[in-house]
Amino acid sequence: MADKFVMVVSEGSFDKAMMPLIMGTTAASMGMEVHVFYTFFGLKLLKKGVRPKLKGMMSLFTGMIEKKMKKLNIPGYDEMMQQAKDLGVNFYACSTSMALMGVEQSDLADGVKVLGASAFLNIAADSKVQLFIG
Amino acid sequence: MHGSDNTAGEIPLDKDATLDARGLMCPMPIVQLAKKVKEMNSGQVLELLADDVGSKEDVPAWTSRTGNQLLGMEEEGKAFKFYIKIK
Repeated sequence: MADKFVMVVSEGSFDKAMMPLIMGTTAASMGMEVHVFYTFFGLKLLKKGVRPKLKGMMSLFTGMIEKKMKKLNIPGYDEMMQQAKDLGVNFYACSTSMALMGVEQSDLADGVKVLGASAFLNIAADSKVQLFIG
Repeated sequence: MHGSDNTAGEIPLDKDATLDARGLMCPMPIVQLAKKVKEMNSGQVLELLADDVGSKEDVPAWTSRTGNQLLGMEEEGKAFKFYIKIK
């Protein structure tokens, strides 16, 4: 059976958006089963058409870093998200965070499953690697 | 870009396919490698070209993790050549 790798994402800034996708696509490419749970400010990363920004005052420079990434041939957020989905990475939205942030299921990108903490912990309980991104 | 005048490698191996991942940065060489290997058959040899400096550690980690065999690696200037036998 494939080793399981789980991540919890609780922040929605640019770096916190990219990290789980980089780790997730890599782990899936290594044959691991990947599950990512988005909660609190991380939740917005699962919304349709989202464009993650750098944190705080740095948000003004988001376009610059996007340009630099393009120049370096580093895939952007949307492309990485698609890659991750193609590789079978599982994405979960925290149901309580959805209520708290006023996010509806229809706001979420395709393929995202809504879960509570208990269901996620059931998935995570026999995982080999766990990362918290927040 | 890289020239096509790469000298023949010291590892005299027959390869069945080549994946040129030069110009791609982590994690894309590994993601593309995994996709390519899925298309190939057991026992075939893939030549992987990469110039992300992390590849030197990442590719051996990937092969040991996935059970594919790393037959050899060469450094050519800033690029690496890996020879991978598909499990």
